[in-house]
Amino acid sequence: MKGLLSRLAQVTVILLILTSTVVFSKETPVSVLVNVEVQTDALTSSQLRKIFSMRQTVWPDGQPIIVFVLKTESAAHQALCKDVLKMFPYQIERLWNKLAYSGLGDKPTELSNQKEMLEKLQQTPGAIGYMLNINSGNKIKKIEVVGE
Amino acid sequence: MKLKVILLTLICFLNVALSFNANASDQFNWRGFVAQGVIQAQNSNYIDDDGDATLKLTEVGINASYTLDTNFRVAGQIVYLNGGNRYPEGLRVDYLFLDWRAINSLDWQVNMHLGRVKNYHWIYSSTRDVPHTRPTIILPQSIYFDAFRDVALGVDGVAIVANTANALGEWEFNWSYGNSPISEEQTKNLIAVTASGDIEQKFVHQGNLVWHNQALRFSAGLLDSKFKYVSGDQDAFIDGDAQIQRLMLHGTYDAKHWQLAFELFRERSIYEDLIFPGFINDSTSEGGYIQGRYFINKDITATARLDIFDLDRKDRSGEKRAALSGGTVPAYFGFQDQFTLGASWTFSENWQLQAEFHRVKGTGRLAPVFLPNTIQNDHKYWNIWGIQLAHWF
Repeated sequence: MKGLLSRLAQVTVILLILTSTVVFSKETPVSVLVNVEVQTDALTSSQLRKIFSMRQTVWPDGQPIIVFVLKTESAAHQALCKDVLKMFPYQIERLWNKLAYSGLGDKPTELSNQKEMLEKLQQTPGAIGYMLNINSGNKIKKIEVVGE
Repeated sequence: MKLKVILLTLICFLNVALSFNANASDQFNWRGFVAQGVIQAQNSNYIDDDGDATLKLTEVGINASYTLDTNFRVAGQIVYLNGGNRYPEGLRVDYLFLDWRAINSLDWQVNMHLGRVKNYHWIYSSTRDVPHTRPTIILPQSIYFDAFRDVALGVDGVAIVANTANALGEWEFNWSYGNSPISEEQTKNLIAVTASGDIEQKFVHQGNLVWHNQALRFSAGLLDSKFKYVSGDQDAFIDGDAQIQRLMLHGTYDAKHWQLAFELFRERSIYEDLIFPGFINDSTSEGGYIQGRYFINKDITATARLDIFDLDRKDRSGEKRAALSGGTVPAYFGFQDQFTLGASWTFSENWQLQAEFHRVKGTGRLAPVFLPNTIQNDHKYWNIWGIQLAHWF
């Protein structure tokens, strides 16, 4: 066991070095958008990970967070995972499955396209979602992503 | 305890539900899964006594959750399982609990669960019966010992799940306390087929702390549990006690196209009386696995895993135990090393086909635990293969 632990420690150090050098682009075509009535204007990547992985379920003012997502294969979802959440799409899908089948939480609502996403964000109080190449619009606002 | 906790949860649920007039359809979610496979464990009683190919690989579940308000929800799941000798066949309440979101801020999330709660402490423990959430049909037996499944699945009691983040990374803390009901069949799995008494789990107390960033995840955890055996009529065993204390470590590394995972444990087991007054057996087992997964494309994943288990760290070859038994228990009952190759294919949305092969050396993780079945498990080397179709919704 000691030998195995020592090997694991070595692998861990190597992996830590590898992961600490990963650089994510700050320029991203995806915008995190919320219903205009949401009082929050900026969130960190860590807070967004908690929201999109369904662990954080209310806004600071107590309003429930309603999470909308697009299909995993969509360019917007891929960009959200890579540039904003800094996760691989399979990681967040695995988290949703763990929540949904162990009672810890519920999966977000999946929408079929950006048009539907825009409508849901405009119509649903407390809604959060994301779209490509859209920074503002009627009844929606962009969330500023501020660091980790 | 079991009925009390379930009733308490239901009463809480009904009380709070009746006080709300909100549109239930917006707050109610339900999901499920169904899976059927073919499996064979040649030269062992792991699946079936005769070692032939069998359809005893059925997993069906349906779950629902009801959000009462921003702080309270109720979640439950019923499953039907048939795994042959791996665990008792039938319908069971997998989990049913009241979920109180005690702290729900942007920086801290703390939930308390009351009722029948899942084991959130190991990598796959909370969804071990849900085919599309696990890497292989058969999980590594060093950690996910099937004969111990119902005991390890969760507890009737209370759990706390906490999440936060700071400059060092993201942190999770899981804690649980309670006990699990142990059926007659499970009692025979754990002790011996001749045991006619009842095992009562007095308590199981478990906690683990997890650190993770976006790629790496590490956890350290402790478990302490006590059991009591009350002998039955014309029982080969007498009243006795057992205590199990476990240290567990696990870690994962996620890359774009592959994933590494490991879990390790050291477990001290103390048995008192049980065979004759004054009998004491105090031994420490060790084990763990390392697993690699390669995502060939978005639909196909290949898995390779080496899993190692030693029943007694001071007798890794099992020779001392074999000698103590006068040769009736072969040395290969002292360990179980298992190499697995598998693949899963998501061939359509929410449909998955999973297939795998296991080469096994030793029989240390075959039931019954205390008094092994040396007649049916008469091979040091044996194989398992399985294929399973799963659909979830």
